[in-house]
Amino acid sequence: MQRRRATAGRVWKQFRSSRQGMIGLGVLALFVLMALAAPLLADVRELNPVYARGAGNPQWGTPGQFPPLGTDHIRRSVWAQFVWGSRVSLFVGLAATILTIAIGSVVGIVSGFVGGKVDGFLMRITEWFLVIPFLPLAIVLASVLGRNVWNIIFVIGITSWPSTARLVRAQVLTVKQRLFVDRARSLGASGGHIVSHHILPNVMGLILANATLAVPISILAETTLSFLGLGDPSAASWGKTLEEAFVNGAITRNAWWYFLPAGLGILAVVLAFTLIGRTLEEIANPRLSRGR
Amino acid sequence: MTEPMLSVRDLTVTYHGHGGAVPAVRGVSLELEKGGSLGLAGESGCGKSTMANSLLRLLPAGTEVTGQITLDGQDVLGLTPGGLRAVRWTSGAIVFQGALHALNPVQTVGDQIAEPMLVHETAKNEAAARTRVVDLLRRVGLPAARADAFPHQLSGGQRQRVLIAMALACEPHLLIADEPTTALDLMVQAQVLALLDDLKQERDLTLLFITHDLSVLTYACQRLAVMYAGRIVEEGPAWAVFESPSHPYTRALAAAFPTIGDRVSRMSPSGLGGDPPTPGQLPEGCPFHPRCPLAHDACLVAEPDLRASSQGGRAACILV
Amino acid sequence: MSSWRLVATQPQTSGSDLLTIERTERGRGRFITRKVLGSVLTLVFVLVFNFFLFRVVQTDPIGSLFRGRNIPAERLEELRASFGLDQPMSTQFVYYLRETAQLNFGISYQSRRPVWDEIQSRIPATLALVGISSLLSAVIGTIGGIIAAWRRNTWKDHTITSSTMVFYSMPDFWLGMILLVLFAVVLGWFPVGGIVDAGSTETGIALLLDQLHHLFLPALTLTLAYLGEYTLVTRSSLLDVMGEDYLTVARAKGLRDVVVRNRHAVPNALLPVVTLTAINFGFVLSGAIAVEAVFSWPGLGKATADAIRGPDLPMLQGLFLLFSAAVIVFNLIADLTYGWLDPRVEQT
Repeated sequence: MQRRRATAGRVWKQFRSSRQGMIGLGVLALFVLMALAAPLLADVRELNPVYARGAGNPQWGTPGQFPPLGTDHIRRSVWAQFVWGSRVSLFVGLAATILTIAIGSVVGIVSGFVGGKVDGFLMRITEWFLVIPFLPLAIVLASVLGRNVWNIIFVIGITSWPSTARLVRAQVLTVKQRLFVDRARSLGASGGHIVSHHILPNVMGLILANATLAVPISILAETTLSFLGLGDPSAASWGKTLEEAFVNGAITRNAWWYFLPAGLGILAVVLAFTLIGRTLEEIANPRLSRGR
Repeated sequence: MTEPMLSVRDLTVTYHGHGGAVPAVRGVSLELEKGGSLGLAGESGCGKSTMANSLLRLLPAGTEVTGQITLDGQDVLGLTPGGLRAVRWTSGAIVFQGALHALNPVQTVGDQIAEPMLVHETAKNEAAARTRVVDLLRRVGLPAARADAFPHQLSGGQRQRVLIAMALACEPHLLIADEPTTALDLMVQAQVLALLDDLKQERDLTLLFITHDLSVLTYACQRLAVMYAGRIVEEGPAWAVFESPSHPYTRALAAAFPTIGDRVSRMSPSGLGGDPPTPGQLPEGCPFHPRCPLAHDACLVAEPDLRASSQGGRAACILV
Repeated sequence: MSSWRLVATQPQTSGSDLLTIERTERGRGRFITRKVLGSVLTLVFVLVFNFFLFRVVQTDPIGSLFRGRNIPAERLEELRASFGLDQPMSTQFVYYLRETAQLNFGISYQSRRPVWDEIQSRIPATLALVGISSLLSAVIGTIGGIIAAWRRNTWKDHTITSSTMVFYSMPDFWLGMILLVLFAVVLGWFPVGGIVDAGSTETGIALLLDQLHHLFLPALTLTLAYLGEYTLVTRSSLLDVMGEDYLTVARAKGLRDVVVRNRHAVPNALLPVVTLTAINFGFVLSGAIAVEAVFSWPGLGKATADAIRGPDLPMLQGLFLLFSAAVIVFNLIADLTYGWLDPRVEQT
């Protein structure tokens, strides 16, 4: 435990010195704060078209007419959608990633540690998933399961775990080859003990870096699925905003204020996670930074 | 007196990387007569490969090089890029260490040998180059069919021979062999050394042989120079340096590598403990003093210069 | 003193040369067979998956098909029997395999026409869009990656890397929306959607030009969106190669820097890029779904987007099969191409 705390401290110090890492972290913190502080930043009632009509909001109001970001086709505040949408996008992105990492890590560790037929079987499944194109599979599953947030999280998680599994397995195999695992075994340590005390600590860093890079993938996946109409109608994410903008003619009306913010939000959050992920990767594997 | 084939004066090479300035070579001077052979020995990190690479200006961009290098009458450090490219491989060529990485994996071995011939126009066309490639391969003891092989299809010894054939492609005057026998097993080492010796006689080559294995050098070279921490610490006629070394470091090196085939010397233990110093962090005074069995207080004061030793060579030790 | 010289005079025997060549040829054949069989197996798994997934949902395909129409119950039963829906699962699966082999994917809920007909008519449009975009992004991205790696850490590198990363981090369809608003709505240089102008009766060259005019913005969108991957992979691959000794050797031979880069560094670096291009093509086929929707491009992607609205399950099933098959086929092509290009790949 002492050693882990020391390692975490060392990692943070290195992270702090990286400009790209700190920018990423800063941007992410901003959006997380916005998501958490949503009730303070935008009135949730503005998301209700009945309320919006009653309040006398304009239809397709420009940001000039209805600051700060105008209104949509049913008079709802775009700013409110942006603020409240961030909650859904971030939540789904994170939850789906947790699911992905959980499944992927377990499969990877079991596959790498146990080896043999189990490994062969699990790897077959992993490779199968990797070959199947993500979007059609996700569409098929989402169509079959129905449109709600948990299904989307499930669909993204169930389609994204293979690459994590492969990475984790490779790392576990490397660790397994190291002498101290054999020594622990010969001392009579059980499999479980070896996994938790030797394998996990060495794999954790990789999993963390991979998770950080998996979040943007999940967020983009949710965005695309929502845009295609598979999102949860009652939990409007940024992707849903984009769908509604498109379907209701924001393009032909040049209602740029409707679809620009949501997309920019996604872009910012994805870039933030990517920068953080790359920084973590460089810390974990210093050879990478020399090449970059 | 004819001009020497290679003349190096006060060469310093400083790398500039993430870790700051690293002086890999600190004031090396040497001379090679035409047709002569000089062995350069030392442990890894002493700067001998850096020295070899600097002779053809193959160091990474941003490396600081001062001093003077005269090869075949040309001032290497003062050459224009075009002039430098013309000198490379024709005046001097390097036989690199034959690890798999010295050859392009996706090109046949024959193409790689022929390439400099076509670039420098030593062969008029591809057909002429092909003929010369086959000749060279035969000369180094490989069948002509090997020309169409890829590097990974050859054994370590075969790859080393290819590198020798490649180095000879443009008939250079100076041949620099950088650790050509390291990582080869003893039998193959012997074959490669014999080959180099034959080629040297045949083509009147000037040879600069670099290695960490002192005993190999005594067969291949007339003169020997020993490097430590970026400087030459002893040099002289090969037999003299090897059999009666003046510098304590040379003595330790010589003891560490028994004569090939001499069972008696293999039995005696070598005594050099510790590690060679990191180039950026040299000790005070003589850089060898931490590992030297004869170190005094006086050794910490200043780094000794090369001074004449008893056997007709020079050594950088205050005890000489 | 000369003991080792005696050893050296023994000749090199290499009668094993012929054997090595023979082994190589056989090894290569085995390599191809293994890869093809692997792909077929994966395809079979996809079929199984497809079958079971949709059977789970389509509890009553006949009922769904004729939803809203006034069909007597006995007639529906007849139809069910004719489709073999009263048979056990295993028989249904065999039936399904047979039908699939004959390209019979059922009837679309939305259009009532055979699924395969609908899919088939959409293929050319998607091939054109995805083909051109893949080619452009591969070429531009690779060149960008080469420059970025060779001039590592200079402003060129940073500009290229940053801009491609930005494009890669945005939803591709959102980029499409921006381009559409900017160039079609505001500037009016390009049409807002479709593949030809509505009500157009053009033929021949005029038709082609009109189609290209419509193709421009969606192709630009996909190209920009997928540039990043090529740039990143090429740059990374070239950086790895740049550390290799054989580049120093090439310089030592007197070659010019550009020649060293193009003749020695790049071919080695391009191996993974070639594989990536082939694999990508398979994936981009299905990745263009959202972009086609934005531009109303009448291809497989738009068909998928429309089918989702139903949900037109037979269409989705057929499309899923096609997309998966495409990826499997292009993965196989990529594997075989790599095996052919890299001389180090030869043994089983």
